Parts: sequence; structure tokens; C-alpha cells
Amino acid sequence: MFGIVWTTDLLLLTIPSIALTGFMLLGLDPLRLRAFEIRVLAILGGVGPLIPMLVFATECFHGSCIGAVPIFTLVVGESTVALALQLDPLSALVGLTVSIIGAAVILYSVAYMAGTALGDLRRFFALMHLFLAAMLTMVLAGDSIVLFLGWEMMGLCSYLLIAYNTTSAQAIRAGRKAFIMTRFADAMLLAALLLLFLEANSVRLDALIPAGVAAQDGMRPIIAALLLGGAIGKSAQLPLHTWLPSAMAGPTPVSALLHSATMVAAGAVLLIRFAPILAAEPLLQALTAILGAATALFGAASALVQQDVKRLLAYSSISQIGTMMLSIGVGAPQAAAAHFVVHAIFKSLLFLAAGDIAHHSPQGTALAALRGARQRKPLAFLAFLAGAASLAGLPVITAGWWSKEAMLAAVWSAGPILWVVALATAVLTAAYATRAALVAAQPAPAAEAAQDDSSDTGYTLFPLAFLGFGALLAGGLVNPIIRFLGGDMPHAPAFTLAVAAIAPIAGAVLALALAPGAADTPMPAARTGGRRASVVDRVLRVLVIQPFVRLVRWVNGQDGGVEDPVGTGPARLVVWLRRTLAGPTAPDRADRLYKRAFVLPFLQLVRRLNGYGSGVVDPLGNLPARAVLRLQRALADALAPDWIDRWWRRIGAALLSIWTSARRLQTGRVRDHGLAMVAGTAGLLLLAWGYSWH
Amino acid sequence: MSDTAFTGLILLAGALFAVGCFGVLARRAILVQLLSLEIALSGPALAFIVAGARHGQAAGQGMFVLILVLAAAEVALGLALYLRLRRRSDVTDSDTLRELRH
Amino acid sequence: MALTLLILFPFLGGVFALLAGKAEATAARIAAAVFLICGLLTLAWVVQHGDSGRWIMQSRHAWAPALGVNIILAIDGLSFILVALSLALGLLTVVLSWNSTDRAPLLHAALCWTVAASNGVFLSFDLVVFVFFWEMMLIPAFLLIAIWGHANREAAAMKFLIFNAIAGLGLLAAVFWIGATGPTLSFDAFEVAKRDIPVAAQIWLLLGFALAFMVKLPAPPFHAWLPDAHTEAPTVGSILLAGLLLKTGAYGLFRFPAMLFPEGMHVLAPWGMALGAFGTIYGALVACGQTDAKRLVAYTSVAHMSVVLMGICGGVHFSLMGAGIVMVAHAFSASALFLLIGAIHDRVHTRDLRELGGLQRSAPRFAAAFALFFAATLAMPGTANFLGEALVITGLFQVNWVYASITLVSLVISVVYGTRLFQRIVFGTARKTPVSLDLSFRELGPVIALAIGTLLFGLLPQFLMFGLDTAVNSAVDSLNAAAP
Repeated sequence: MFGIVWTTDLLLLTIPSIALTGFMLLGLDPLRLRAFEIRVLAILGGVGPLIPMLVFATECFHGSCIGAVPIFTLVVGESTVALALQLDPLSALVGLTVSIIGAAVILYSVAYMAGTALGDLRRFFALMHLFLAAMLTMVLAGDSIVLFLGWEMMGLCSYLLIAYNTTSAQAIRAGRKAFIMTRFADAMLLAALLLLFLEANSVRLDALIPAGVAAQDGMRPIIAALLLGGAIGKSAQLPLHTWLPSAMAGPTPVSALLHSATMVAAGAVLLIRFAPILAAEPLLQALTAILGAATALFGAASALVQQDVKRLLAYSSISQIGTMMLSIGVGAPQAAAAHFVVHAIFKSLLFLAAGDIAHHSPQGTALAALRGARQRKPLAFLAFLAGAASLAGLPVITAGWWSKEAMLAAVWSAGPILWVVALATAVLTAAYATRAALVAAQPAPAAEAAQDDSSDTGYTLFPLAFLGFGALLAGGLVNPIIRFLGGDMPHAPAFTLAVAAIAPIAGAVLALALAPGAADTPMPAARTGGRRASVVDRVLRVLVIQPFVRLVRWVNGQDGGVEDPVGTGPARLVVWLRRTLAGPTAPDRADRLYKRAFVLPFLQLVRRLNGYGSGVVDPLGNLPARAVLRLQRALADALAPDWIDRWWRRIGAALLSIWTSARRLQTGRVRDHGLAMVAGTAGLLLLAWGYSWH
Repeated sequence: MSDTAFTGLILLAGALFAVGCFGVLARRAILVQLLSLEIALSGPALAFIVAGARHGQAAGQGMFVLILVLAAAEVALGLALYLRLRRRSDVTDSDTLRELRH
Repeated sequence: MALTLLILFPFLGGVFALLAGKAEATAARIAAAVFLICGLLTLAWVVQHGDSGRWIMQSRHAWAPALGVNIILAIDGLSFILVALSLALGLLTVVLSWNSTDRAPLLHAALCWTVAASNGVFLSFDLVVFVFFWEMMLIPAFLLIAIWGHANREAAAMKFLIFNAIAGLGLLAAVFWIGATGPTLSFDAFEVAKRDIPVAAQIWLLLGFALAFMVKLPAPPFHAWLPDAHTEAPTVGSILLAGLLLKTGAYGLFRFPAMLFPEGMHVLAPWGMALGAFGTIYGALVACGQTDAKRLVAYTSVAHMSVVLMGICGGVHFSLMGAGIVMVAHAFSASALFLLIGAIHDRVHTRDLRELGGLQRSAPRFAAAFALFFAATLAMPGTANFLGEALVITGLFQVNWVYASITLVSLVISVVYGTRLFQRIVFGTARKTPVSLDLSFRELGPVIALAIGTLLFGLLPQFLMFGLDTAVNSAVDSLNAAAP
């Protein structure tokens, strides 16, 4: 009846369906579940999609992607609805990344959310499952309807997840802001998809994209611009980036999933998917590159001045996805896809590790809450270091370096200016990554050192260890990924490679220069006192920290700490950045500008329409009634003293007075009435007599 | 019947009626008013008889009988009402009975 | 005969409810429910035994041949969907008011009569009979608001009646003009459709028709009756208002202008689209500032029905199809929201968004239902609302991209009012008494039915699309044939 033809390829449906089933079971109210059952369901729904995904992806990596799988095709009159899933190299790669990260994050949250109430726990995992299902749906979509379904559901889930703490006004505001701003993007994407549908007369992606490339009549730039707009909004790129830093009000696992592989990265995935259309419009491609570069630089600079670790990571995501956009803009979507994978790994790792370290910290998610990580959570600390190193792109030993190198090489071929911007981004990225790592390396103040959190369980350790190794070792995948997606490894002159390799180190030095106190702390052998200095500590000190400290001291031309921190060049840079970008925790300038330019006028308009000030609620709706009233005043009120009516009234009044005087005759006494009768009879007789008497 | 006798009797009849009328209008005792009413009725009754005798017609006497019946009925009704009033609220003064006004 | 039964059964249901209710209140609601179910069964029979052509079934009875008035009934996919919707919503409201104690027999009778009259509107093709049912519909709806409403019910009911009765005069005048100017005295819509009415006359006639339809729809600036009526009406009244009465306006616009006055439609459609575009933004903006939950939903109705207006005036296949789907989808989502808000009002006696909150903690089932229909109001993909609006936008892109963009903007604004409604009720903590009682089973049944409708038609739209296809095609053909 629905035109569904059952094949084994339809098993592709199970990938999002497993997560969706998890959502439905957890969301189903009549089902009474205990905490243990919720946890089991959460893990099943979170890890479950990975299994079919692995099977399908492996098949695909061996060169036999099953391609589009029609679910059902429906032709009604002119309209054709052909829903389909699709497993091509891109969706296999991204889908696998998403399901791995999703599984890791959900495993981790089983431990992270352990203390929450039962109902909230259910809601949390149900929404996480829905979120994961939505992203998988979007990634595996073979037609624009399913694509948009996943895309839009993600927006809704992000709203509900960011506002997960429903008693916090700030969280609710942040969720709403994210939802409204991404909805702008959604509207643009919807317009693009509908226009593509009109061009292709089909909703299938394999028909849409060629039709988009072949579009005439000036349609192609419009479609490409709308696609770009959609991606920018969802990926929090300039100028629609402001929702992401606020979205940190959600729980840490939500941020980990939101930032690394889903929601925010979805914009990049979308542009990679529709890259052929973008490639056909050089102007928009250039715009993508410029916006990406600007966002990358801006995000990195903003991250440098943040005092909150989650906000820092938020700006980092903005910046990193900016570099992906840049890469897409210079015509190397494959390199962007590779960086998407690597970024997903290290960003989720950073969030999870930071969340683990700062969980239950009295400082919340402030950067300072990371202090003492080395003592309290050595493994999480190591994982954080691995993530930060990968983010910074330390040469050769981290995955981040490889993907970044590929992108930088691609950018070099597009032009030196963009390359310089990208390089500056790389330096700043390394600087803020190092800065965060340095804070984490500091010992905690004595007051906090004593308190120890619950010990780590396998639920946290396994994802951290797995992702940590991934963040370091996945570099070997970059080249295969690019080839797998049908691209070539970009080549660039050797000197640019060398410069790019120095960039992270320069950034790290910059960070050390910025935090003069921090430069001393890595060697606190005395301060750890009686504690056994762990192998980790020793290895780190000898291999990483000490050489850096020497380098920093050398850069500063002195041996001791810096006396006047504001006086040094790098510190001045930070002060300047902070002033320009308006503070580490306050909303940034763009946020305030939007508030003035859009939010407040909108509110004012709504208020005006609702009768604040002028006093008329719904002025237009009252127009007919007011018009009638005015008509009445003009016509009826002019005739209001109705003269005829007035005469009638006067007659009535006269009758009334006659009646009252006549009434006075009625005494009710028999004698009076008798007299009246006699007089009347006499009068009548007289009258008769008078008539008869001629 | 001579003209003189006729005139005299008619005047007598008028006088009887006038006396009755006066009694009804001037006296307040209900019983007296009823008596006066009887007197007033006898005036026209006499006038009918006189007129019948004068014109030699029997209709005058017929009318007399009618008035007699009328008076009897009226007295019966009046006395019944009077007795009822006495029994209910001991009223003899007709001026106090003003409820009909309303 | 079967078509007559579709009108007669709900009507008789009302009569029997009133008669039986004198003796026993239970008998009244059973009578109402049974007759509505009989109506649904008749509808199923009609489809079983109908044709597959343009009309599933037609019937014609003489009524007053000397006046040219006959009872001409016909049903196609569009009418079928709407009649099914009206009977189902009628049944739903009867179930919902099952335990009502305040003049329950009359309440059930009023519900049945509303259904009967709107079925008459959806089936009649003799214009005089159409006008008869059109006006008939006002009476039970008026009673619903005026008797069982909230504090300001009399004023709201009068406003409802005045707006719609005056607007009905436009329709009446146009219908009489048509009857009087024809070669023979006939009000048969099929014959009128064949007549060659001059364009200037068509425009005036269309304006007369459109006045009635647009007030019922409602399109700005004629929408002021709706927020008041919705706010003051009891829950079942709001459901029938949103689910049925507004749909009669949309149905009228869908059916008659393209059928009777295609040339006039070509002249006026751009204005209609402009009005719709304005209305969807205006309704959404006003909704953003409401503090009364029911009023907010009422203004979103204005916004969504304006999208329907745009879709109909777009006059292309996609936009008409989308308009039809939005009509049905809006009936589900708005009814459900009114139901939920009504249930909240029953519990805590307030609908003020500033006083509500914390539903998610105190009544999670409530919150889940709210989340679903909140998503439907926002036209989330997967709900029928999305499908309809997306098709309307697609169609508008073919006609005029400006209107398509405006509809997209209204989608963005819908998030603003949607989240306002949702988070003020569901999130946070109650500022007054919290809603402690979760949805009862009697409420849950209708909610689940509406949820299934929303999701079913969102994910498997073929039922709707097959049904709408013939009506959409004939409207498009008629408009294309008249294209200048």
C-alpha cells in the first residue's frame, strides 16, 4: 500500500530506529522503569546504532556502498514524495563518527547523570536518544524531507536539552535563543530545499544536487546562498554565532554531543553534502571561505579570553568549524570532512574530560574548576591534555595536526591571505588550548584539594580512554578519509608545512607567556609533598613542560617570572582582545548588537501590538469594531436627540401629570363617589333637558 | 287625577329622593346610608305609580314592582356586606373603607 | 440519501439527546455519541459504494422547485475529509464532556447541531441551502459560548454572532444576485459554474462570498471575534471553533471562488495572498505578546489560517494541496492545545501564562503531550503541519517568492510564540497552584487520538493527498481555463 519494497538494505533504517526506540521506550510514561532499567535502556539506545552502522560502514569502506535505499515512493498528481535513506562514503563516514561519539557520550552520561532524579534521568536519555536519532537521520538521509526532518528535530532537541534544567531561567533563555536563531537557519535551508525540489521535481538528493548545479535563471546563486545561510546558522558561524556560547547552560554531555559530532557540526556536513552546488558558484564559495576564516579567527581570539571552560570550548567549536567552512570554501570539502572526524573526537573528549574534572566543583564550569585535576582525576587530566594537544595541533603526534595540515595546504592553494588568517587561527588555537591545559595542571587550592569526588567508573574511563587514543592516533586516518571521499591530499610547499608545524608551538609559547605564574607551577615537586609523584607527572615534566618553560623564559629574556604582566606584549594582546571582544563571561559584542538591533525592536513591536503604551490590544482586529463605532458617532449621534421621539415623550409626560391629578379625585369614600354619581346624573339630566328644550 | 295632585305627588317623590340622597351623602353610618338608600328608591317608585295613574297605564305599577325587587335585593346584599364588615373588623363608618381606592 | 443521512444523523443526535436528557442525562450523551458514530459509519458506507471519479457521490432532491431551490448534495475527497473531521471532532467533544453536569443534554445537542450544520456546509451545492447551513452553524456555536463559557461569555458570544452574521449578509446578497440574474431561477452551483458571468460582476460576487469566508477563516482585519470567542468558550466549544468553524471558512474559499468565479479569482487572488501574508505575520506577532494561553493559541490560529488563505490564493497545485493539509493539521494541533489548556484551567482555574509553570515536574504526561503539539504548532517535520506549510511555501515559490519568504519568516516567529507558550507552562515552577493532577484517561483518549492524527498525516500523508487530489485538480483546472 505504501509502495515499500522490503530488502536487506532497508536495515539501514535500524540505525536511527534503535535510538528512536530508546527515545520512545524511555519517553513512554505508562512504562514504569527503575534506575537500573533506565540505565540499560540508555546504553542500548546509545550504543545500539553503532552496531548496524559499523556493519554498513565497513561494507562501504570496502568499496560497496549500498547507495540510496528508497523507503517509499508516492506519486499524487504532480507531487512526488520519494523518501529514501542513502549510504554513500560521506554518510558512512559521518554516520560512523556520529554513532561512535554518541555511544561514548551516552556511556559517559550514565555515570555523569547518576545522581539525578528518576524522571529527569528518563527525560535526559530520551532526549539524548532522539537527538542522536535526528542526527543519524540527517546524515543518512537520501532525500530532502528526511534530511530536513533530522535537521529540524535536532533544533527541537537542542532546545529541550539546553533547557534541561527547567528551573534555571538562564538555561531556558539559552535554549530558546538557540532554538530561535537556528530556526532562522532552518528556514533558509527549507527554502533552499524547496527551491531545489522545484528545480529537480524530486526530493531525492541524488537528483537534487545535479539539478541544483544545473539550475538556470539565477536560481543557483540563490539556492547556494540559502544553503550557506542554513549551514552558518546551525554551525554558529559569524554572524549567527551568538547562541552557541549561551547554550553552555545545558549539562556537559549535551554540550559534548552538541558540539562535536551533531548539531553544530551538522552545518559543515550539510555544506560538504551540497558542496557541488557551492562549487558551481565561485562568489559564494569565496564568501564561505571568507566567513569561515573570519569565524575561525574570531572564535580563536574569543576563546583565548574566556574564563569559563565551557564557553572556551564553545568558542573553540565556532572557530574549528570556521576552519572547516574555510576548507569547504577553498574547494576541499574532503579535508573538511577529515577535520570533522578528528574534531568530533577531540572536542567530545575535551568536554567529557573537563566535565569529569569539574563535576560537582563549587566553581561550576569556571576555568579555575579544572585546577588540581592532576591529583584528583589523573586519567581525566591526561585525556584533557590529549584533547588539548590535538586541538592545538601539536605536530605529528596528534590527530589534529594531520587534519589541520591538510586544510592549511588546501587553503594555501587558494591564496596567501586566507592562509595567513588560518595560520593565525592555528597559533591562537594552540594558545588557548595550552592555556586551558596549564590551568588544569595547576594544583588545586588547599581548600579544594581535600574534597574528592566519586571515583571514576568504567562508564567514564572507557569513553575517555578510547577518545583520548583517538585524539592522538586518528591522524593516520586523515589521508585515507580524503581518498575515500574521492579527494586528493592537498599539497603545499615545504616551507608552509614547516611554518604550520611551528604555529602550534608558537601558540603554546604565547600561552605560557600570557600566564607567567603558570609557567612555574608545572614543577611543584615540593608542593605535592608526601604524595607519590606519579609516572604521569614525571613523564610530563620531563618531556613537555620543562622544555616549554625554558622556551618561555627564553622568549621573555629572563629567568624568573614576569614582574609586570600587563607590560608584556602578549598580555597587552589579551587585554586588548578582552576589551574588543567584550569580556570573558559577558555576552560578546555581536550578542549585544543583536539585542539592540533585532530583539528589542521585535519586543517593542509585539508590545505595541499588544497595547503597551498606545493602549489598544490587537489594533487591527479592533479596526472593524472601531470603524462601526465611529460610524455610529458620525451618523447616529448626529440624530441622537430624535425630535419625534421627544414629542412622544412629552405627550407621555403630560398624560402622566393628568393621571396624577385625576387620581386625586379617587378618595375611595362611598359618600364621595355617591356624590359624584349624583352630580353626574344630575348633569346628564340637565343636559338632556337642555337638548329637549328648544 | 288633577294636575295639582299630580304635581304635588311628583314633588313629594322628588323630595323623597332628595332626602334619601342627602342621607346617603351626609351620613357616615353604613346602616343609615342603607336606610337612606331605601328612602331614595321610594321616591322614583312613587313617581312611577303617579305617572302610571295619570296616563292610565299598568307599566307604572310594573316598574314599581321591579323597583321593589331591586330594593329588596339591594338591601339583602347591603345588609350581608354590612354584617360581614361588622364581623370582620367592626366597621360602621363607611369613610374608613377606602381600600377600593387602590 | 446517504449524504442526507450525514447531516440528519448528527441533527437527530442533538434532538434525541435533548429529549432523552429530560429523563436521564446518561441517555443524552449515549444518544449523541451513537448518532455521531452512525454518521461515521454512513461515511464509511459512502466511500465503499461511491465512485472513483470527480465526485464520490451526488444526490438531488427537490425542495422548492418554484423558487429554484433544491437540495443538492455532493461529496468529493475534500468534503469527505472535512466531514470525517467534523464527525470525529464531534465525537471527541462528546467524550470530553461526558461527565458534564451543567445542562448536559443541551450541551450535547449543541455539539451535535454544530456538527450537523457544518456537515451541511461541506456537502451542499445548492447555494441557498449552503447559506442556510452556513447561518445555521452560528446558532449552536453561539449557544456553546453564551451558556457554557467563562466570565465574559455574553459579550464574546455577541461579538461572534455580530461579526459572522453581518459577514453572512455578503454571501446572502451575492447568492441572491446570482439567482436573480441567471437565465432561469436556479441556485445550483454546478449550473452557475457553467454560466458566463462578466468579470466585473464576478469580482463583486467574489467579494461578497469572500467576506463571509474570510471572517470565518478569520483573516485580518476581521479576526477580532476569534480570540474573544476562543477565550470565553468552554473547552469543547474552542475545539469545535478551531477544528470546524474556521475550516468552513477555509472550505468555502477552497471550493467556491475557483469553481464559480475563476476570472474574478485571477483578479483578486494577489490581494488575498497579500492579506494572508500580512495576516500570518500579524497573527504571529500578536501571539508573541499574549498572556492568556487560550488567546495565544487563538492568534496562532489566525497566523495558520492566513497561511491557508495564501495557499488557496496561490492557486497552484502545491499551494492548494498544502492549504488542504494545513486545514486538517491545524484542526488537530489547535484542538489539542485547547484541550490541554482547558484541562489545565479545570485544575488550577487560570490560563495566565505568568501564573502557570512547572508542568514538567508535576504532570509529566501533560508535559509530553504539550511538547508534541507545541512541535506541531511550530510545524516540525514529522507533523502534518510541516507538510502542509512546506507544500504551501513550495507553491508560493512558484507564484511569488516574496510571499514564500514571508511564510518562512512566520515559521521563525512561530518559534518565539511557541516556546513562550511551552516554557511558561511546562518549564520552571508554578507561580500559583501547581497542576498536580496528570491527564485523566478521559482526557488522554482524545489527546492520543489527536496525536495519532497529527503524526499519521505527517509521516504518511498519502491518505490526505489522495483525498485532496481531485478537489485540488479541479480547482487548478478551473483557474487555468480562466487564465487571461
